[in-house]
Formats: sequence, C-alpha cells, structure tokens
Amino acid sequence: MELASSRGALWLLRIFFILLVVFLYVPLLVLVVFSFNNGDVTFPLQGFTTQWYVRAAENPALVASLQRSAIVATVTSVLSVGLGVMASYALIRRVFRGKGAFSALVFSPLVIPYLVFGIALLVLFKMLDKVMIALTGSYLDVGMHAVIVGHVVVALPYTILTILPLLERLSVSLEEAAHDLGASPWKTFWRVTFPLLMPALVSAFLIAFTLSFDEYAIASFLAGSQVTWPVFLFGQLRVSTNLPEMVAVSSVILVISVGLVVGAEMGRQRSERRVTATAE
Amino acid sequence: MAKGEPGSGRSTAGLLSGPLLWLFLFFILPVFLITAYSIGSMHLLPTDTGGVTLSSWKRFLTGDSVYLSLFWKSVRISLTVSIVVVLLAYPIGYFLALCVRKRKYVLLLVIIAPFLTSYLLRVLAWKVILGDRGVINSALYQLHLRTPDHPVEWLIYSQFAVMLVLAYVWIPFVALPIFVALNNLDPSYLEAAGDLGADRWKAFVRVTLPLSMPGVTAAFVFVFVPTIGEFVTPQIVGGSADGSNFLFGNAINARFTQALDWQSGSVMALFLLIVVAVLMTIFGRRISVRNMET
Repeated sequence: MELASSRGALWLLRIFFILLVVFLYVPLLVLVVFSFNNGDVTFPLQGFTTQWYVRAAENPALVASLQRSAIVATVTSVLSVGLGVMASYALIRRVFRGKGAFSALVFSPLVIPYLVFGIALLVLFKMLDKVMIALTGSYLDVGMHAVIVGHVVVALPYTILTILPLLERLSVSLEEAAHDLGASPWKTFWRVTFPLLMPALVSAFLIAFTLSFDEYAIASFLAGSQVTWPVFLFGQLRVSTNLPEMVAVSSVILVISVGLVVGAEMGRQRSERRVTATAE
Repeated sequence: MAKGEPGSGRSTAGLLSGPLLWLFLFFILPVFLITAYSIGSMHLLPTDTGGVTLSSWKRFLTGDSVYLSLFWKSVRISLTVSIVVVLLAYPIGYFLALCVRKRKYVLLLVIIAPFLTSYLLRVLAWKVILGDRGVINSALYQLHLRTPDHPVEWLIYSQFAVMLVLAYVWIPFVALPIFVALNNLDPSYLEAAGDLGADRWKAFVRVTLPLSMPGVTAAFVFVFVPTIGEFVTPQIVGGSADGSNFLFGNAINARFTQALDWQSGSVMALFLLIVVAVLMTIFGRRISVRNMET
C-alpha cells in the first residue's frame, strides 16, 4: 500500500498544486499583458502596443535609477561574495573558538526586519556626518555607497548559504595535496579551491545581485537623492498615469530575473552533482 | 588541527577579520546607535532635545499608547497570514516531497520562482487586479454585475487586501522548508507504520506530521518575522488616507520620514527587533538554517 496518499488524495493534491500555480502566476501574467496594452492599466484591453517600453527607455529619471541599481547590485554582489567566501572558508575548514557565535552573527541578518536595519544604518550615517562636519567641515551624506553597505550585510548570509554546501563537499585532500606539493595557502586557494568553487560563486553572485537590485526597504532610507530603481518605482506608484511604463520595465526585469535565477540554480545543482561524483 | 596544516591560526584570523569587521561596523554598531537614540543619548535632529531619559520607552510601553495597540494589531494580522500561508504551503510541500517521483525539483522551482521576482512588482500586480478599475472590478462591469460607480470596495485599500497580498508574497518561500523537512523523511518510518497496521491517516498524524514539524516551525517563523515588520504592502494596497490599514511598520517608518521624531521611532524599531530576537531564541533551536538547503 502506498502510504503517502491514496489515489483520491493524490488527485486532490494535484488539483490543489495546479490551482496554487495559477494563483501564483496569474498576477504576474496580468502585469506582462498590461505592459503591451494600448491604454491605462484597466480592463478592457485596448489593443497591442510597445509604446510603454519606448517611453520607459526615453525617461531619463527612470533610466538613471536603473543604472544606479545596476551599480549598487554589482558592487554589493562582489563584496558579499568575497566576504561570503571568507566566512564559509572559516566555518568549514577552520577550528576556532566562538564558531557558534560567529555563525549566529553572520546568519542573523536573515531575520532582522529590513525596516529596522535601514533606520539603524541611517542613524549611523547621520552620526558619521555629524562627526565629519565637526572634524573636517564636509560630510558624506547617504547615497549609493550607503545602500551598498546595507545590502552587503543582508546579502552575506545568502552568499554563505550558497557557498557552504559546495565547499563542504570539496575534498580537503585536494587542498592537502597542494599543500604537500609546496603551495602556500594563498596559492592553494587560488589554484585549487577557487576554480572548483566557481559554480557556487556564480550563483551566489546572482542571488546577491537580484536581492540588491530589488531591495526597497533599506534603500528607501539610504538612497537619499541617488534614487535606486525600487525606490523610484515606489514613488511612481501613486501617479497612475506613469503606471504602464513601470509595468513595462517591471516585465522586462521579471523575465530577466527568472531566467537568471533558474539558470543559476540549474548550474549549481549540476556542479554539485559533478563535485559529489568526483568525491566518490 | 595540527600546526603547519593549511589553516594556521593567523590565516583563520585573516579569514574572520573581513566579515567580522563589516558586520561590526554596519550591523552591530547601528543597532547600538538606535539603542542609544531610544534613550535620548543622541541628538542628530534639531528636534532632539533633553538628556538621557527613558520617557519615550515609558510612553510607548505604558498607558494609552496607540502604537502598542497598533503593534498588537500587526501581530494579529501577521499571525493570521502566517497560519494561512503554512496551511496552504503544507499540501504543496507534501505533494512535491512524497507524491511526485519525476521532476520533483523542477516543480519545486516552479513554486519558488515567483519569490525570486521583484517584491514591489508582485504587490503592484495585485494593485492592478484589485483596484477600483482593476481586473476584477472591470470584469464585473463587463458582466453588468456592478456599475463603475459601485466597485467592490473592500477588494483594495482594506485589511483583506493587505492579508491577501502578504500571503501571496510568502507562499512560495514557505513551501521550501516544509518540502525539505518532508523530503528528508526516511520512507522506512512510513513503511514501518504500515507494517504495524497504521492506515494512511494514522501514519500521517502519528509519523509524517510530527517529523515534519521542524519544517513547519521554520516556515511559520520565516513568514511571521518579515511580515511583522512589513510596511510596504500596507502602503500600496492598504493605504487609504486615514491609514486605518497601516501596520506597526508604517508607524515606525512615519516616525522617521514624516514626524522626524527619531527618538520614539528608535524605541519602536528596537522594540520590534527585540520581539524578533526573542522569537528567534525560542524557535531558532528548532530551525537549523543549514537544513534549508536543497
């Protein structure tokens, strides 16, 4: 007897699964459909157009916000992957006192409310400005650098979670062999570990990138005048005439981000299978 | 680890220094600063006056604080959303982990993929669907069930809208820990239950469900914690002028962006952080982050 489910229950579960997939995807499809609608974002549809895409591309404030988000997300990904490698390496390959506390610290940004974290960083940067004005007369203010600083903190646990499993499966004997052959730890890392780790690093990069590119709460406090894309989008939501343009850009981002993430996940699983196969 | 092996103490310190320095400066220090702010020992705005005092805390925690009752309202909404989401996600996790043989992970990715798209975008989609001239209402006009002067008003800018959108946003993410817990379940337990004469229902209640509880707990915490600090969704689909559907997060946000009362804002932000920290200490032991990998 199949104990997980009876035939009737299996059908119910199947139908439920399909309904949930419909529930999850219909809103996204609605957005994409409206991005080609020759009218505002209401029914009935008015016919096909690509004007919203053209208008979006010609909107300088919108394009600037996208560029800023691209820069912020790129720098965030590089930094958080770099720090993520260091932290993962320490967690997997090293024995040190306070490992539990270190692990709790690096993973705690997973659960901090972004609202609170954004506010706390805002206070930090205002404090820094106050000190700087007192000492030098100039100040830094918030902006893209502040957004990056915050995004690295919240992206770090995700990059570690992506790198850890692969690093754990990489056989230590490869590193030991390099060491026995006279390679320095630095050289061992760059010549042996790093290339093997590459697939995980790529997916960690993509995860950090998408997280940062899409992040609103922290950026809303720290972007200042250097508005990133989500902050710009949020500001435009009140103006219903601009909605179709926003929907158009969002559709493009939707397609790209789904493609990237699915690609990254497939790459990661394939590489993990490969590493597991070499290890056995 | 013996000395001289790859991994001497000095290089370990080097590895730790980067992440530790970053998190100390940009994570721990800022939290300390809002703590200092909440007791009035920092003055960054012209409106900040007075010395070190617990008055803001006192005002928040005692008496007729509107913010504390707003906090409890947010807790109620978050709890409802979390329970609904876990109840909806459990059958999905169960189906994928125990009933599907082929292409299990592809179907899992189908469920999770929406979570990886823009958060604002998904909220925006519901604004388009639920709005007074949105998909549902205009469909009703077309069918002559309603006239444009009388849209179904409770669809948007209501507590219902806030809860629906929050649930929509979190279901994909929550299916994951439940799936992982059920997927790691040793099938021989179920076989044993069958051999000992348990029927399907009994096997589920006595074996599968208890063994999947860590995943359920993780799922619950993973929705409850972020939704309790939520302020974006209420502003987009709950936001009427009077802010009657606003949550605690909106109140904190308003302290900083509109009222410029950073001291009581810090009190509320820190209070939220403490609540989350307490929840994580209670539930954290049952959730191993590392088990969440697929």
